[in-house]
This record gives sequence, structure tokens and C-alpha cells, in this order.
Amino acid sequence: MTDLSRRDFLKLLRSGFLYISGALALGGLLRFLDYEPNPAPQTEFDLGPASNFPLGSRTLLSDPPAVLLHTQSGFSALSLVCTHLGCTLEDQENGFTCPCHGSRFDAKGNVTHRPAEKPLQSLRVEVTDEGNLRLFTA
Amino acid sequence: MRRLLTLSSFLLLLSIILVWWNNSRQPKPIELIPTLTGQPEYCLTCHADLPKISASHPVETFGCVTCHGGERLALNADLAHSSMRGGANPSDLSVVEASCGGTNCHSGSEADDRHHIQRVTTSIQSTYAGAIASIRFTFGAQVDLTPRYGINAVTDDETQTGITSLLAFDPLSEANPSIQKFGEECLTCHINAMPREGEDYSRQTGCSACHSVGEHTLTTAIPYTQCNTCHNRGNYDLRTMTFTKRDDHPILRIDDYYQPIGVFTKCEYTLDCIDCHTRSESMGDGDIHKDQASIEYVQCKTCHGTLDELPLTKTLTDPNDIAFTLAFLNPVIDLKLGDTILVTEKGEPLWNIRILPNGTYEMYGKATRQYFTFRPVMGTACEQNPDEQESHYCHECHAVEH
Repeated sequence: MTDLSRRDFLKLLRSGFLYISGALALGGLLRFLDYEPNPAPQTEFDLGPASNFPLGSRTLLSDPPAVLLHTQSGFSALSLVCTHLGCTLEDQENGFTCPCHGSRFDAKGNVTHRPAEKPLQSLRVEVTDEGNLRLFTA
Repeated sequence: MRRLLTLSSFLLLLSIILVWWNNSRQPKPIELIPTLTGQPEYCLTCHADLPKISASHPVETFGCVTCHGGERLALNADLAHSSMRGGANPSDLSVVEASCGGTNCHSGSEADDRHHIQRVTTSIQSTYAGAIASIRFTFGAQVDLTPRYGINAVTDDETQTGITSLLAFDPLSEANPSIQKFGEECLTCHINAMPREGEDYSRQTGCSACHSVGEHTLTTAIPYTQCNTCHNRGNYDLRTMTFTKRDDHPILRIDDYYQPIGVFTKCEYTLDCIDCHTRSESMGDGDIHKDQASIEYVQCKTCHGTLDELPLTKTLTDPNDIAFTLAFLNPVIDLKLGDTILVTEKGEPLWNIRILPNGTYEMYGKATRQYFTFRPVMGTACEQNPDEQESHYCHECHAVEH
């Protein structure tokens, strides 16, 4: 075993400090560059196999809040985000109610009680080649 | 030289480790993306324990920044709070338009009944116009009781009262020392100002003066105790322009409810202020009024009628009737289409009072949810003079001894 000279030891120590500093600084830089404070909101949702939603089904989704319908015409969906200020609607007999300010919508999404003025947003639903449902909120 | 380089590289490493260590001590951000804004906020990182403010303002929808302002992505408290509106109270009238306004919120149109901010800022609660005019008239600063000043300057372009504007009252520009002292001592009740120090007066300013009954809450079920923070804590002595705190420490509600000198019927002290006084009386109607008396109009006969007339009623046929909205916001009664409720002379719904099939009335306390029934004066043995219908005549027979 070769004895390190004092000079070599200091050189080794210095190099070690610099390499570790460089690695930590690089890690910090990558972390900084990778940080996304304003991620774009998700607009596509995979709902799983279409076979999970048989003909005639009416399924309430929580994320995104929506109701998925499977009729003879195919799949369709209504957003359950209130068009007044964005609260999540509650499913009621014959329609939907906003628990925040009392807006009501019929089963087709039309306003029956203000303060909301616009009907509920219809959402696009697609069946992928693999037979999965994809829901688009924008 | 080599030693210096080694020492420098060590110090560099130490500095970087310290930065990492300090960074690792930062709280892990708790992200919230409110549906209304779609923009991430990190406020819940520190404020997750706050109580929900109200069913109408869920944090999942509004987030925090919509109302409070602030730096939504900051994790440092000072930076996060640096641009907040109104400190902890965004409803303070100096910032209320930015915090609570907006056509879909509280500064919508009169037709939509969403002109709340206009109503509050022109209301007597905010302007104090009657008191200011009265004091200035009393001490010779103006020749009549016409209101010229409010706490803040305010305008009303669509006035129904003939008062189109008020100037901002500046006590220091007044020549009379009594008016100056009035400015110093007697302006803590209007809702622009923080109240006097003391638990009895504890309330916020702006909308929260009435609607915040606890920490981080907003409610329309306002108990009489909230009104008491201004209306029943003592008296102003106009000779000395000083405030004298009540010292009787009431235990019974009848004594706590009103000034000890008051005379009241059972319903007046059993109910809460908002059970009788309407929204326009307490929050204003959008017009500038000259004094408190000119906006308050509900009397005993509003609910009980007179010997000759039943109280006014209205059958709810429109699902968008404001009565449904008010009953939704404070669900003490399950109103339905076809129900007949009482209304005031001005058409304001007394939505918590419904006529029963036998001709009597049922009422739910807006703050207590207590259930009451009562009957009209018509058909009773009451011998009231038809020309004497004001409440004080009713008090002559129906006042409760205390």
C-alpha cells in the first residue's frame, strides 16, 4: 500500500469536495429546471374499458366530475361543474343541484334555476382502438 | 495556495450542503387547484386546518387567492402574505370590490339581486350619514339635517331617495371641538371601522362585521349577539362625546337583547334581529338614505296584520324567486313551489314565515331554527285603534315586564 503524501491527500480532498459540490449543484439545477409550478390542468381522462359501462348505464364520475351516459346513440358525458362559479354538482332526481348557490339543471344539463345561466358543458368521449374510453374536458 | 484552494472547495461544498439542508426543511407543498381559477395554490401547506368558511364558498372551488389575494405559489409566509387584501379580512370595505366583487359574485346587477357591495357601501351601516348630519346640525355646522357626509365618499347614480352622493367626513376639518371629538370617539360602530377593544365588541369590518360569527366563517344565520357588538354595548353621551359601556352584565336574554331602557314584546326578544328586520333594512337597498329611520320599516303589523287587514302574503310560483335562494343559503325551512309566505310592504319576502291551512302562521328562527306559530290580529279581541298601528302602540298592551 502506497502512503499518500500530504500534498496528494489535499489534492484528493480538494477534488472530492469539488466533485461532490458539482454533483449537488447539478442535481439542484436539474431539480430546479424540472420543477413545474404551474402544471397545465389535465384535460384527458382514461376511464378504462368501455365494456365497464354497458348500454343504458348512467355513471357518475368523480374525477373529473361528470356523468357518463351510454345510450343507443353511443357514449356521451355532461360536466358536473356548475357553470355559475365552478362548484361540483350533486346528482338529484331529474337533474343536478349546485350545493354552493342553489343552481339547478335538468337531466340534459339545461338550467332550471339560477344563478347559473349557461347549460352544463357536454364532454367529448372517444373509444380508443384498444376499447378504452377517453374523456376530454377541453 | 493549495491550502487555500482546499479550504475554498470545502467551504463551497459546505455552502451547497447547507442550501440543500435548508431546502429540505421547507414544508412539502400542498397543492390545490380551484375549479374556478384552474391555477395552483400552495396556501393549504400552512392553512389546511382552517375551518371551511361556508357552503357557498368551498375552498375546492374558490381556493384562497380569489378572495384573499396573496402570492399563491410562495411557501415563505411573509412573501405569501405580502399581497393579501385586507389582511386577514378581505371583506373590509376598502378592498371588498377586489375580493368579493364580480358580476357573478357580489357586485352583479340589481336585477340579479347581486349588487350586495353597492348596497352595503351606500347603507347607513357604512355611511353613518344620519349620525354625522345630526351632530353637525346640532353643533351648527350645517343648517338642516340633510346628509352631506358619510364615513367614505359614496355616490348613487340611480338614486331613489334623491341623495346622489356623500362627501367623505373629515372631523379634523371641522371647526367645532364637539364635532371633532365626535370624530375621535364615536365612529367605531360603522362597519368600516374596527370596533372598540373588548370582547363584547369583537367583530370584523366590512361584510364580516355581520356575516363572520366565528373564525373563518361566513353565514347568513346571524345571531342577535353579532348585532349586539354594535347595537347594545352602551351609549354615547352627546354632552361629552364619550362612549359609556353597559355595566349591568345581563344574564337573561331579555336584558341582553336590547338597551335596558327598551320596552319589548316576547317575540321581539325571543327572536333574533334578522327574523324581523329585512335584508334591505340591515344591509341597505342600494340607495343612500338620510338616516336609520328612513330605511327601517318593518313593524308588528308586517307579520301580524291589523284588525282590518291580514299581513301581506305571496304564493311562490317562480322557482327563481329570491325566497328560494335565501332559504337555500340558510336552510331552516323547506320551501316549496306553491307555498304562501309573508312579504313586507315593500315586497321583501319573509321567507321563513309560511301560512298554515288554518290561517295561522309558522315561523322558523333564522339563527336558532326554533319553530314558532302565531296568529294574525284580525279576529282577535284586540281593541287597537285602526289609526294607531305603530309598534309602540302594541307595546302598550303586549310589553313584557322585566
